Amino acid sequence: MPQKPKDSPSGKNKVARIDFRFRRELAEKIEGDLASFCYQCGACVGDCPATTYGSDFNPRDIMLKVLYGLGDELLGENSILWECTNCYNCHERCPQDVKPVEVIISLKNMLADLGIYPPAVEKVIQTFEKTGRTVPLSDAVNRQREKFGLPPLPEVPMEEIQKLIEPDSEEGEKD
Amino acid sequence: MKRFAFFPGCLIPARHPAMEFAIREALPRLGIEIVDLDNASCCPDPIYFKSKDKLSWLAVAARNLCLAEDLGLDIFTNCSGCTATLSETYHLLQNEVLREKVNKRLKRIGREYKGTSRVRHIVTLLRDFAGYEAIKDSVERPLEGLKMAIHYGCHLLKPSRIMQVDDPNDPSVMENLVTALGATPVRHRNWYLCCGKACQSDEVPSNMMHDLLGTVNDEHADILCMICPTCFGQFDFGQMKVSKQFGEDFHTPPVYYFQLLAFAQGVPYDKLGLERQRFKPDCLRRFETTTIPEG
Ligand code: SF4
Ligand code: SF4
Repeated sequence: MPQKPKDSPSGKNKVARIDFRFRRELAEKIEGDLASFCYQCGACVGDCPATTYGSDFNPRDIMLKVLYGLGDELLGENSILWECTNCYNCHERCPQDVKPVEVIISLKNMLADLGIYPPAVEKVIQTFEKTGRTVPLSDAVNRQREKFGLPPLPEVPMEEIQKLIEPDSEEGEKD
Repeated sequence: MKRFAFFPGCLIPARHPAMEFAIREALPRLGIEIVDLDNASCCPDPIYFKSKDKLSWLAVAARNLCLAEDLGLDIFTNCSGCTATLSETYHLLQNEVLREKVNKRLKRIGREYKGTSRVRHIVTLLRDFAGYEAIKDSVERPLEGLKMAIHYGCHLLKPSRIMQVDDPNDPSVMENLVTALGATPVRHRNWYLCCGKACQSDEVPSNMMHDLLGTVNDEHADILCMICPTCFGQFDFGQMKVSKQFGEDFHTPPVYYFQLLAFAQGVPYDKLGLERQRFKPDCLRRFETTTIPEG
């Protein structure tokens, strides 16, 4: 049996209380509910580069924290989630179709709802939301293209993109 | 000519136009017509924007797929990140509940996703629509004697049920494409590792790159053949960084496959933008003894 979590708020009285609200919120994210099928076999760990080359990262452990509802341990500044390299090895290996990487990305969506991003991540997101591209257009870019006989890059129709990324309030997607 | 809608993404057209140039040189020689898409946006990227909000990410990706649907064409990508986003979108939107959610968003801009355009990584265009033999026939200067280590990267292959490109545990498509150039593919021991670009720690990518470049060196490869522009950056600038950090001499020039292909097909070295790389593939120059009329 997995051990009881040590330092979590829910573990204080030596009773693990599952934070179902956290789990429900996660389940609302696309494929965030898949962690429920995790039986802790660890098949996702062996080929995980963030486990092999880092110090603390372990996708099985992250799934366990999700199952226990230990949102506080995953959703904060400097979250361990950002060590995932998005290599999809765990997705490939998991016998339960948990897609740990997708659960991790759903957890990052929850972090975003809290407004927490590493600065490098936030910068790319802002560039995309402003220009519709992750590498912004510039005269220098177009001059480079010209050298290869390529036409200048067109602007992205941002009115369309902005409408698409607005939250679903009126349709009742989010409460 | 077989026609496909071209989804160039952000990184190649804006940061590596040399790669786009090479693609536009190489594909028509293989009977593949490139149809440009108007009004496309970032795919959006499967690392950063997807981390913010998966539903918005899907909606923008679906809009890009709609542009190809309007043309009645399948869509091809030249970046493994774009492939990840667009293939996953195609896959996820086979689920009706999700498709309806996304179509609600698309309705705001008068569009509807139908799921009629398939997503293809450019590598599969070569394999499935041109064929290895045709590639071989298009080669004017076979790169004989060149040893090429291959970096598959992650999203060309995985998740395999969604990408449906090749066996992720023992792929062969890149080996075959390199062989078609007349070069010799070599599989280094750490071939399956990732480039680490998406990881936000310093420790993981540098340790991993160190291991990976070590086994590339063991094989004495002349070139590290790349198929993803993100991986390319990690191996060009990143290789220099890792060399310094570990005090070791790593120096295998990474080259995007289509620049190798265009070169082998006769496009002059100097037109391919290779001199802009930190590690220049000078080993290619020896194949340039005969001048070939411009393509
Ligand atoms: S491989 Fe799947 S079931 Fe096994 S521990 Fe990892 S997520 Fe859980
Ligand atoms: S996607 Fe992330 S969690 Fe999964 S194996 Fe790769 S680094 Fe590990």
